[in-house]
Amino acid sequence: MTTTADDAEVLARLDARVVSRRRLWREIRDRGFRYTMWIGGIAVIAAIALIFFYLLYVVFPLFRPARVEAVTSYPLPGGSTPTVLLTTEEYGEIGVRMLADGRVVFFDTATGRVTGEEKPEVLDSSPITAFGAGRQNQGLAAYGLADGRALVLKPSFTVSYPRDRRRIAAGLTYPAGEEAVVVDPDGRPLTILAVQGGDSKTTILAKTADQRLVMARVSRQAPTLDFGDGERTVKTENFTLPIETAHVERLLLDASQSHLVAVNGDGSLDYYDIRKPGDAVLVDHAAAVPPGAHVTDIRWLAGGISLLVADTRGVVTQWFPVRDVNNEYTLARVREYRMGNRPVTAIVPEFYRKGIGALDASGGFGLYHTTAEREIARQEVTDKPLRAAVISPRADRMFIEDAGGTLHYWRLHNEHPEISWHSLWGKVWYESRRQPEYIWQSSAANSDFEPKFSLTPLSVGTLKAAFYAMLFAVPLGIMSAIYTAYFMNSRMREVVKPAIELMGALPTVILGFLAGLWLAPLVESDLVSVLLYFLLVPSAVLLAAWGWSRMPEGVRHRVPDGYEALLLIPVILLASAVVMLTGPGIEDAIFGGDAPQWVTRHLGLRYDQRNSLVVGIAMGFAVVPIIFSISEDAIIGVPKHLTIGSLALGATPWQTLTRVVLLTASPGIFSAVMIGLGRAVGETMIVLMATGNTPVMDFNIFEGFRALSANTAVEMPESEVDSTHYRILFLASLILFLFTFLFNTIAEIVRHRLRAKYSHL
Amino acid sequence: MQLRAEDAVLTDSSENWPRHAAGGAPTHAVEPAAMQSFADETPDDTRPCLTVEQLNLCYGPKQALRSIDMDIPEKRVTAYIGPSGCGKSTLLRCFNRMNDLYDNVRVEGSIALHGQNIYDKSVNVADLRRRVGMVFQKPNPFPKSIYENVAYGLRLQGINKRRILDRVIERSLKSAALWDEVKDRLHDNALGLSGGQQQRLVIARAIAIEPEVLLLDEPCSALDPISTLKIEELIYELKSNYTIIIVTHNMQQAARVSDYTAFMYLGSLVEFGPTRRIFTNPKEKQTEDYITGRYG
Repeated sequence: MTTTADDAEVLARLDARVVSRRRLWREIRDRGFRYTMWIGGIAVIAAIALIFFYLLYVVFPLFRPARVEAVTSYPLPGGSTPTVLLTTEEYGEIGVRMLADGRVVFFDTATGRVTGEEKPEVLDSSPITAFGAGRQNQGLAAYGLADGRALVLKPSFTVSYPRDRRRIAAGLTYPAGEEAVVVDPDGRPLTILAVQGGDSKTTILAKTADQRLVMARVSRQAPTLDFGDGERTVKTENFTLPIETAHVERLLLDASQSHLVAVNGDGSLDYYDIRKPGDAVLVDHAAAVPPGAHVTDIRWLAGGISLLVADTRGVVTQWFPVRDVNNEYTLARVREYRMGNRPVTAIVPEFYRKGIGALDASGGFGLYHTTAEREIARQEVTDKPLRAAVISPRADRMFIEDAGGTLHYWRLHNEHPEISWHSLWGKVWYESRRQPEYIWQSSAANSDFEPKFSLTPLSVGTLKAAFYAMLFAVPLGIMSAIYTAYFMNSRMREVVKPAIELMGALPTVILGFLAGLWLAPLVESDLVSVLLYFLLVPSAVLLAAWGWSRMPEGVRHRVPDGYEALLLIPVILLASAVVMLTGPGIEDAIFGGDAPQWVTRHLGLRYDQRNSLVVGIAMGFAVVPIIFSISEDAIIGVPKHLTIGSLALGATPWQTLTRVVLLTASPGIFSAVMIGLGRAVGETMIVLMATGNTPVMDFNIFEGFRALSANTAVEMPESEVDSTHYRILFLASLILFLFTFLFNTIAEIVRHRLRAKYSHL
Repeated sequence: MQLRAEDAVLTDSSENWPRHAAGGAPTHAVEPAAMQSFADETPDDTRPCLTVEQLNLCYGPKQALRSIDMDIPEKRVTAYIGPSGCGKSTLLRCFNRMNDLYDNVRVEGSIALHGQNIYDKSVNVADLRRRVGMVFQKPNPFPKSIYENVAYGLRLQGINKRRILDRVIERSLKSAALWDEVKDRLHDNALGLSGGQQQRLVIARAIAIEPEVLLLDEPCSALDPISTLKIEELIYELKSNYTIIIVTHNMQQAARVSDYTAFMYLGSLVEFGPTRRIFTNPKEKQTEDYITGRYG
């Protein structure tokens, strides 16, 4: 650099003031940039942390333990006559006690004040000899009389909102008519009673004093043209069941009024089919309690499928009928809960959920959940035996009656009892299933079904999708990266690399619908051709490469170095043509013209049109650019002096590639695969559109699956905010987040190690 | 592997380094008189190892070497000196055909290694490079252990017997004067060695496969004076077994280690002769101007 006179003048003109101003300005700029970068970086981390914490915030209540707290207690409203049925309405504001003497007492649950009392006149006509209750959520009950008749009654509540305040009026209705129903035409006293009612039909079943089992079925038919005020026709049928009842101590009718459970004195259960009452069939006989123990209570779990049996040992067992391969039912003992050593006095099923409460003779109650297979809470209420209890329909209040004449009002905080580690990840024996299974089934037509929230099939689905996508993408991505970076002519590379990277910018929804609507039917109709393609095209490429290496020098030198890949275009086209021409023929000859059917029949594998093969190809297509691009950069980034050093030692390009280049680039390639895997795991649109979204658990390539991401996309719009389902979908997202976080972190750690290791290369 | 002509220029970048990079090295204990005892007036007291005839080389349209003719004597040290961009590194790369790796390189003329033209179509380039080893200005050990670095060339030839490898590696490291420093950590990563040690390791790696010629492309330009001294002593040791060609722009180094010196300028060979004569009594004015520091 030469300094002219002018330059000298310019420099000389800078006085101290100007210099310091410039220095200050430079300082401000430096700091400005530094803080902007700093804020930007922190903001990114904060945003990710915020997403993570928001997910945690929504998921956390699932795992918060339930709480119970005593609110108040008061003397039994309506006197200390024992309750035969304690129930309440939707809000838990009005309690109902049905007493052994036939009185029905309504009371305000907050204070214990009696708000009403009724006693049906019929009950005065003859002594009450038996009592039976229907399913918890119906509130149906029946009093059996000494003259062989029974009265079916049901508390009813009407809610109105005068002046915008909730007012609940309570009363009694009589589903089988206000008059008592004749159950035993012979007029003998009814000693044990069971009742169950539906919209149009009520069944009353009773054991008589002379050991017969009699049944009355009351059907109420609305007239064909019902204008709202038409009289319903009531029809009563009477039956005597050919069942030996000498040892029967309890009777229970199922929800469909077609099956009967009788508890014998020796603690065994008889399960009868009474669809044809005249010839009732014994379906199964099972010992419910060991010798020496007695059954103390038997109830239906909400939904009316599972039986709950309590006994004197302090154990509650769950049973349900299971259909075996011969279409025959047996009662299966599914699980048990041990409350303590004192006898269980009563079982209190929740109204709609699969939770149960249990009371014992020493004043304790426990809350359990059948699906989650866990104890939710255990509490000592008093030191007196507990007699009856009800959990309000919303499962937030519980009223417990003790033998000392006190009613205890407890508040429950138990929003998500069905969630446990076991119910999310383990095999759960769901109702009516033959054995414990992993099932995801979050909703059904009825409200009291058992939700099946196993995340295992979804996680397996995600991993299955990723596995098949990687199977397709890893070899293709890495091999093409190696060729492009190491062998391809640089001018050709300048075209090829951006072209493949452009593939990565393709919206996955396009890949998804192409896969679902175009590729899936194509794969189904030409399965053999597609599989043949994967076999034949790579073989043809290898064969062509081998053939090329055998060509005389003169021919080989016609193609400039690094352009040999172009020769593969006709080879691939030719191989594709061969596949297309021979595929259908092979399918006809070997697979009888329908390969999917052949797969099903001969390999025993289900074939879905939208299957993992289709997803593997489509998602592989989405992942290839990532793996290609990062691996290519890693290989190109291998310092030139290493390659040159290796070649100078007499290594062939191939030896240099395998012994030096790939070794040095391997962490980069590994991180490429990991980032690709992270992408495959988190990908949503392709797995949503190109599979049937059935949450099955297997690795059959011809079957679909349901991935965590697709599951969230499908179900989030229809899940109720803050419900268990909603929170579980967030949990699924959190797991997905952790999956991708894990893979990307591994990739990043490896990359950092690489940088540290090769920094002085 | 494809490199572009620009890369070739880039790898020469050290030629732009200030001269004092290695030139500041003190005059070492090696007696110049002893080193130059071989050098006589004429280079034909030994038979030629490499014979260059009418060698022209172009990077695209730019001619980098012009009609080079010279005989390189066997088991002597020949040094190339000259200003930056004069083509000395390019010429060196012609001896093991490393120039083939660059696009748009055209070579005319011939180089014969013991009478066989290495640019003949029948020559296997990998085989040629095994016979003509090369060491670069920047140490380039592979990211493997010291042991595996030296074993690399042998394994390429399919030699994997532990016993043979052990023996050759020990011998090579001893020849490269590195054995005592690394014998206890042969299986440590080679990247943990110092620059000077790395360069000696690279030399050990090159001589492990017993080449006939060893090309050294400014082997000391990235090293400190002590390491430079060690490499120079090593070159002195090695010349009894190998034909050594060294490119340097440190003239003192050329004077210290070489038996013959060639001065190149603008792609042409200006003068070639015994080192003592070139430095004391050059025939060409350009040589004299360069040696006395008038340009370069």
